[in-house]
Amino acid sequence: MVAVADTVRTARRQRTPLSGPLRFMARLFRDKPLGAFGFVVCLLFLFCGIFADVLAPYGFNQISPINRLKPPSEKFWLGTDNLGRDMLSRCLYGAQLSVIIGLSAAALATVVSVFIGIVSGYLGGKIDMLLQRFVDAWMSFPDLIILIVVVSVVGPGMGPVIVILGLLYGIGGSRIVRGAVLSVRENAYVHAAQSTGASLPRILWRHILPNVMAPVIVLFTTRVGAVILAESGLAFLGLGVPPPAPTWGGMLSGSGRSFMYMAPWLALAPGLCITIVVYAINVFGDALRDLLDPRMRGSR
Amino acid sequence: MRTLKGALLGGALSVVAGGAFADDKPEYGGTLEVGTVYVTLSALSWDAQDFNWKHNHDTGLVYEQLFAADLSKSVKAGGKHPFVADAWLPSDAMRGELAESWEWKDNPLRLEIKLRKGILWPEKPGVMKSREFVADDVVFAYDRLDNSPRKIKGYFDHIAKVSAPDKHTVVFELKDYFAEWDYRFGYGYFSGIYPKEVVEAGAKDWKNVTGTGPYMLTDFVAGNSNTYTKNPDYWDKEKIGGKEYKLPFIDKIVYRTIKDEATYITALRTGKLDLLENIRWQNVESLKKSAPQLKWNRWLNMSGTFLAFRVDVDSPFKDVRVRRALNMAVNKDEIVKAYYNGNAELFAYPMHPDYVGYFQPLKEMPASVQELFKYDPAKAKKLLAEAGFAKGFTFKVQVCSCNPDHMDLLPLIAAYLEQVGVKMDIQPMEYGAFLSAMTSRTLAVGYLMNNGHTNPTTTIRKSFTTGQQWNPSGWSDPKFDAKMDEAYRERDEGKRQQMLREMTIEILDKAPYIWLPTPYIYTAWWPWVKNYNGELRAGAVRPGPIYARMWVDQELKKKMGF
Amino acid sequence: MQAYIIRRLLALIPTLIFASLIVFITVRLIPGDVIDLMLSSNDIGADKKSREQLEAALGLDQPMVTQYFRWVGAIVFEGSLGQSLWQSTSVMQEILHRLPITFELGIMALLVALLAGIPIGVYSAVRQDTMGDYVTRSLAILALAVPGFWIGTLIMVFPSIWWGWSPEVSYTPFRENPLQNLGQMAIPALILGLAFSAVTMRLTRTMMLEVMRQDYIRTALAKGLATRTTILRHALRNALIPVVTLVGLQAPVLVGGAVIMEQIFVIPGMGLLLLEAVSQRDYPIITGVFLIVGVVVVLINLLVDLSYGLLDPKVRYR
Repeated sequence: MVAVADTVRTARRQRTPLSGPLRFMARLFRDKPLGAFGFVVCLLFLFCGIFADVLAPYGFNQISPINRLKPPSEKFWLGTDNLGRDMLSRCLYGAQLSVIIGLSAAALATVVSVFIGIVSGYLGGKIDMLLQRFVDAWMSFPDLIILIVVVSVVGPGMGPVIVILGLLYGIGGSRIVRGAVLSVRENAYVHAAQSTGASLPRILWRHILPNVMAPVIVLFTTRVGAVILAESGLAFLGLGVPPPAPTWGGMLSGSGRSFMYMAPWLALAPGLCITIVVYAINVFGDALRDLLDPRMRGSR
Repeated sequence: MRTLKGALLGGALSVVAGGAFADDKPEYGGTLEVGTVYVTLSALSWDAQDFNWKHNHDTGLVYEQLFAADLSKSVKAGGKHPFVADAWLPSDAMRGELAESWEWKDNPLRLEIKLRKGILWPEKPGVMKSREFVADDVVFAYDRLDNSPRKIKGYFDHIAKVSAPDKHTVVFELKDYFAEWDYRFGYGYFSGIYPKEVVEAGAKDWKNVTGTGPYMLTDFVAGNSNTYTKNPDYWDKEKIGGKEYKLPFIDKIVYRTIKDEATYITALRTGKLDLLENIRWQNVESLKKSAPQLKWNRWLNMSGTFLAFRVDVDSPFKDVRVRRALNMAVNKDEIVKAYYNGNAELFAYPMHPDYVGYFQPLKEMPASVQELFKYDPAKAKKLLAEAGFAKGFTFKVQVCSCNPDHMDLLPLIAAYLEQVGVKMDIQPMEYGAFLSAMTSRTLAVGYLMNNGHTNPTTTIRKSFTTGQQWNPSGWSDPKFDAKMDEAYRERDEGKRQQMLREMTIEILDKAPYIWLPTPYIYTAWWPWVKNYNGELRAGAVRPGPIYARMWVDQELKKKMGF
Repeated sequence: MQAYIIRRLLALIPTLIFASLIVFITVRLIPGDVIDLMLSSNDIGADKKSREQLEAALGLDQPMVTQYFRWVGAIVFEGSLGQSLWQSTSVMQEILHRLPITFELGIMALLVALLAGIPIGVYSAVRQDTMGDYVTRSLAILALAVPGFWIGTLIMVFPSIWWGWSPEVSYTPFRENPLQNLGQMAIPALILGLAFSAVTMRLTRTMMLEVMRQDYIRTALAKGLATRTTILRHALRNALIPVVTLVGLQAPVLVGGAVIMEQIFVIPGMGLLLLEAVSQRDYPIITGVFLIVGVVVVLINLLVDLSYGLLDPKVRYR
């Protein structure tokens, strides 16, 4: 009796995180105003990134030495840099780059995390042990150091940065997914599916994956922020996406630092962009976690 | 507020000091914290045998050489030499350091050097007891270099034999006269003289470094600092204001290694560095505002910036018209005014203006050279059309991502070139990969780089003669090579200068590079650092003798609040 | 339990061998080899003979396999990690010089993260979704969101302009002058720690929320039996779990260094050692650092996992 009721209840719970996105939005705005604010900012960031070509008043590499180092004015809302390029346009295109790099790397990371986490967590045994030792070894190296070595091998560029950040965070994040899988695989309905002879892929796809979606979604959002920060760190060390690509990190650590005294807006604009976007992503991610995590439900 | 008080006192003091005793009486004692020209680099090797270029910079306070700069010919002493050149001493400003006198003799061609007497190697526990410096030490140091597994090919080919006929005479027998004889083993990168006892104790360990110089190496923290303490038995003296003083004055000198620009600029501003030798123009305004008492010197970078074209592979750049066209397409005046904010010179490479007698200013150049430095996109387009590129073309340019100035400059150049229909495909590379591309000749047809001048003969040789490592364009002209050889053999300096001037004009005309402006670099120091006017090197990358003659006005430093 | 420990320790060996092979090969794949760099530092072209001479002098002329086994052999039989190609000094010595410095910075940062993150985490769990929760959490997240190098640069530059003060730029070992040493380390530790405190905060908050909603606590509360202090005491015991997790997460930084802070605040740590070694292709140092960092971090993680068993009764090791 209890087993059946349990199964029904968990089955119903299975649908809740993904159903009724509108209801979800309502809950977000009602219960988690800070997270909602973060969400709105994220949307704005996405919008700017996608429509940068339309929104930007100038090109991102429109060099005009006669207009160099001008403070914010009517003509140049965020001022100009040392080559006379408009900072507002560069920041908008920077948003585009951050969207591309952030979303791609985070997506890659999530796919990697899910794959490793599910395989490792569900299959257990020797495979789990082997994969976990590999993850251990990988995680024992500081992020930046791996990035430095790899970027040195492959050379600077957007592609390598995305792939490497994706792999790096993917392998690291697999632990979280694995943890979630471990707690899900002992559930009754999984056993039910196994006993009815469902194939492995089917079990993973229909029963395991949907139930670890919550932490996966949260993982994805936090990864976007982490990637944006990591790119700026690489830019500081001279290993980021190279100029003239207007990445926020590149602008902040390059001319932003060189002209910090003469033209503080060169650092302020990209710096604030990074800070606000990463902050927004993080508070949104926190709110998501609160709303989606089945363990959290019932605490309020 | 420290800075305000300092400013008031500094102002007051400068009024007082204005007339009376300006650089006044030398004082013993104190410490000098220096951010050297190579402030971001730590010592790489303590053993001359490693043939590491920075060796002289770190050991130059401890190991002395046969020759060094005659600092009495410096600008501050009323002479005309700024002593900024990284590896060149003008022939009229060279004095014997360990050498007392030298004489050329013929049949066979040889240089007889009489060494100073009475110089002692100091006692160093675990390495050696104090003993006299003798000619055998010079021969030993030379032989060790000559037999090093890391020796630079052909470096000492001009020397037939080195011998020590008596305790204080060294004879260098030469196969043929060689214009760089003094640079190669006189005041050069690797010519510090050290005793065999150091090698026996282990030449690679900094703890064993000991020499006849004004300072002893007492500490080395890799990536952080080198500390030098006064050698109380140093032999040299200096006459100042009519009186003779025993050198050195300062008790302790510390080289600070700081990788981050903002950090070392800040260290100067707050007095944690007494002297900072390498300041980019972007920082000058802020430093002058927040630390107005600093004293300044400005010097032209001893390194030329250029975009090299490969002429040894199939490319549009095999045609001299294309190369000249692209030179005219770049608005170099605007680069000086707008990119460097006026802190640059249009024309300073391959000959450096400091190479008095070798350098000719742009206005003395023939019209064909002058037009390469005038912005004329119409003429550029015409030349390109003549060469068959009326529709323009695209070419790849490699640049080092390690150099932020270049990374910013290249898009600017690309913008200029685009106006004449030539597009650039920029490929940034990490330092090691970038350098390797050049040495292994796998570099792209365009290559933006900096190259040090070194000295008036090397600056032409290393970049424009066949088979040289630092010849990115692959320039190879046997007639030119022959001229270079002749110049090296020319004993008369006047004739040599003439030959080099002609060769400079020739190569400028042929334009294997887009010749780009050379930026100014600044040196700043606090007023309590005395007897200093921005001199940087008294031998190849060797500031030792300069530091030995500086002193610190400790009273002034205290009064200013530091 | 003991069997588990032994099995984990044994599993270490193949992991390390595997990792060492990868690091060894990858490093040599980096374009631009060290010979090029050394020869090109001088202005005269090198011919084939000089290249060969230099390669032989550095032991790089041997086939890769030989070099690898020589390296492993040196570690196992002599405890030596080889010599730096540029300085000819012992790699082990270089690392041992820098490791304590990095460790000190890492521990200080960890302390800051804990001291800042745990209280905020507890507070935001107990006062979930109140203004106070939002403010404190926002502060922690802002510390994470602002790029570290920017804050570091701002702290370095502006106080010097406004007040003529700047942090120490010379490193003094702790035992020589503890105050000066701490003075130099304090600010980067603060920056690193505050950034990490957001992670701490999150973990603590999650832990606390989970504990607080457990049925028996709610029942006790409803019955008026348990006081707030009891809950907090009970919850805090569980808070040790995230603390231990954090040590595990922070371990790579503890041992591998924080390159950016080291660069800005002139701290001669492991991060800078590796950065310079990579740019100079000093293979023995690169492989040596990776190996040491890897070993120490894996050991720390092993301790972390074991302590879970002590702290969290739900975890059992088979």
